[in-house]
Amino acid sequence: MSRVRSDLWHLAAGLGGVALVTLFFTRWLPISNAAIVATSFLLVVLLVAATSRLAVAIATSIGAMLSLNFFFLPPVGTFTIADPQNWVALFAFLTVSLVASNLSAVARARTREAVGRRDELARLFDLSRDILSMSDSREAMTTLARAVARRFDLEFVAIALPTGGTWDVVEAGGRRVTLEPRQLSDAFAKAQSSYEFDAYARTYAGHEELEIDGRRVRLVPLRVGTRPVGLLAATGRPIEPGTLDTLAGVVAIAIERAQFLEERKASDLTRQSEALKSALLASLAHDLRTPLTTIRVAAANLRTGPLSDDARIEQSDLILAEAERLTRLFENILAMAGIDAGAVPAEPRWTHPSEIIEAARAQVEHTIRQHRVEVSVDQDVPVRLDPRLTATATAYLLENAAKYAPAGSVIEIRARVHAAGLDLAVRDHGPGIAAADLPHLFERFYRGASAKPGVSGTGMGLAIARGLLAVEQGRVWAENCSDGGAMFTIAVPAATKVSPVALSPAT
Amino acid sequence: MTTDPRILLVDDEQSIQKAVGPLLRSRGYQVDVAGTGADALKLFAERTPDLIVLDLGLPDIQGTEVCRRIRSESKVPIVVLSARGAEADKVNALDLGADDYVTKPFGPEELLARIRVALRRVRSDEDAQTGHFQAGDLTIDYDRRRVLVRDAEIRLTPKEFELLSLLARNHDRVLTHRAILRAVWGPNAVEQPEHLWTLVAQLRRKIEPDPAKPRYLVSEPWVGYRLTTAEPGAAT
Repeated sequence: MSRVRSDLWHLAAGLGGVALVTLFFTRWLPISNAAIVATSFLLVVLLVAATSRLAVAIATSIGAMLSLNFFFLPPVGTFTIADPQNWVALFAFLTVSLVASNLSAVARARTREAVGRRDELARLFDLSRDILSMSDSREAMTTLARAVARRFDLEFVAIALPTGGTWDVVEAGGRRVTLEPRQLSDAFAKAQSSYEFDAYARTYAGHEELEIDGRRVRLVPLRVGTRPVGLLAATGRPIEPGTLDTLAGVVAIAIERAQFLEERKASDLTRQSEALKSALLASLAHDLRTPLTTIRVAAANLRTGPLSDDARIEQSDLILAEAERLTRLFENILAMAGIDAGAVPAEPRWTHPSEIIEAARAQVEHTIRQHRVEVSVDQDVPVRLDPRLTATATAYLLENAAKYAPAGSVIEIRARVHAAGLDLAVRDHGPGIAAADLPHLFERFYRGASAKPGVSGTGMGLAIARGLLAVEQGRVWAENCSDGGAMFTIAVPAATKVSPVALSPAT
Repeated sequence: MTTDPRILLVDDEQSIQKAVGPLLRSRGYQVDVAGTGADALKLFAERTPDLIVLDLGLPDIQGTEVCRRIRSESKVPIVVLSARGAEADKVNALDLGADDYVTKPFGPEELLARIRVALRRVRSDEDAQTGHFQAGDLTIDYDRRRVLVRDAEIRLTPKEFELLSLLARNHDRVLTHRAILRAVWGPNAVEQPEHLWTLVAQLRRKIEPDPAKPRYLVSEPWVGYRLTTAEPGAAT
């Protein structure tokens, strides 16, 4: 629409120019030399040709010719021409103006083409940049299709990859076009069978144009080297076939890159899990080896030679402590396996927070012997949850606190019952948690990067705590306190018999 | 023997300290205990122990580094405690001058035997500049390059003699594959253990009463070889 309007404007301007020249030479500067007038007209025609299309220039030429004939070639005031010489002049004027218009139009078309090329090159460049910043995620294909649609202003872009008989199609753009798998397969088969480029006819093998839902959809094979790996479908703005072919090449490279990245990620994951396994094995081995050695040596010490009573007690204590360490390790492995197998059921019943804390302390009595434990229960009213799971999870938190906080320091346990459940916080006065460790704390087999030397552990305790709590929809998280030490908080949703008075915010 | 040998026990695990310390004391050794590499180096300088039992997994300094630093100053025997599966650490420690190793979890007799052998070796080194080596039926005369098995002279190739005398001069000590290869074939051969396997097999055929069950030239799997002087059947 706008194009026709702009043509009309140009035509009006051209004819206006012709009229102006005519007025100028008839009214203000009467001149009868037809050659000068014709040159002036030619100027107008060239201006029009330089700014508009050939048809407009021709129309202006004809207007100018008629004006020349009517106003300047004798007999003036008529369209008849007396002198045959003037016929020649008129004809020459028309020819010159037409040829000039044509030349100008061709030059303009070249320019437009060059601008278009530059534009498409810029789009391709932008697209390549998009692709380089693309990640390896499963979203990569969608991102790619979107990038193509955006960079080339297309209404619809689809990337179709053959996956064992069917097609994996990713679409982008504002319009929806339904691609039939059969059409895709046909086009793909053609692309596979031929790879030729007819430079003269500017046709590319495998390019197809389909009529779908009244839109012209172009299918271009995506090639890596000469091997087609999929199809690119595009509709909307017409794109020069050469550009389309290059675009398809870029997209094919992007797909290959994404697939490569994905493979690398998979192999990274495998390697990571291998590393995790060997780390676990090393850590388990260490935790088994030390107690076993100690028990063997201490038992031998008890058997040989006379020992003082003190020495005897020390050696047997050593055996008991190490046996407990082994037992704990074993329980951890079993608990972990149980959680993995989903063999831990939640058995909720009415219980008191103080009961849970007592049970938790009893479980790790040996470990927390050297710390002062301070308990505060906000409101010791019944809550309905699985006391066993909650207590065991709490015990793991206590064990963790005892491991990292110095002997003799205070470990606080605070329980708060509210309408939605139970919150239980274990707070120590140790060195706190390194920022780097915080996000991974509850991951299985994770051991703090800056784990205190000499603190043994397999990185199972906190993971088990989280696993146990998850069974009863509970959560656990950790934070550093502003005045030093770490605080682990358990939140278990539960029915409670909390009195309405206590609903006021806890201090 | 004027005084009881003094042993420095280095291990960061308290339970090991509490069990192994009394074990060694009950056998008449004087024992100092260190829980870190820094303590170990300090006590080594202060007490000049006769032997060091060194755990490789220390919290501050790598056990192998402790080993290297001590060896740069002294020839004191070092028995390394290491984890099963940590062969690389073990070999590394031996290459850095450790004399022997015991793998955790170990039994008390295992550790005591290693300590006895290491101490004996030092003592025999001190008074053994005779040019002879004698273990069981095996006699080596270094000066005349002669080897006798059950009083009969056997002929060895120069390489075989070199290997045997290397092991004999370091008897009861584990020599790593690398160390042997370097000493016998030169630094370029350290990555070619097949030389060593062949030579050991040849040597065993000549000196062992039963080459399938070596009595002198004992293999330490994945680590190296040792020439043992202990009588067969004795607790080693």
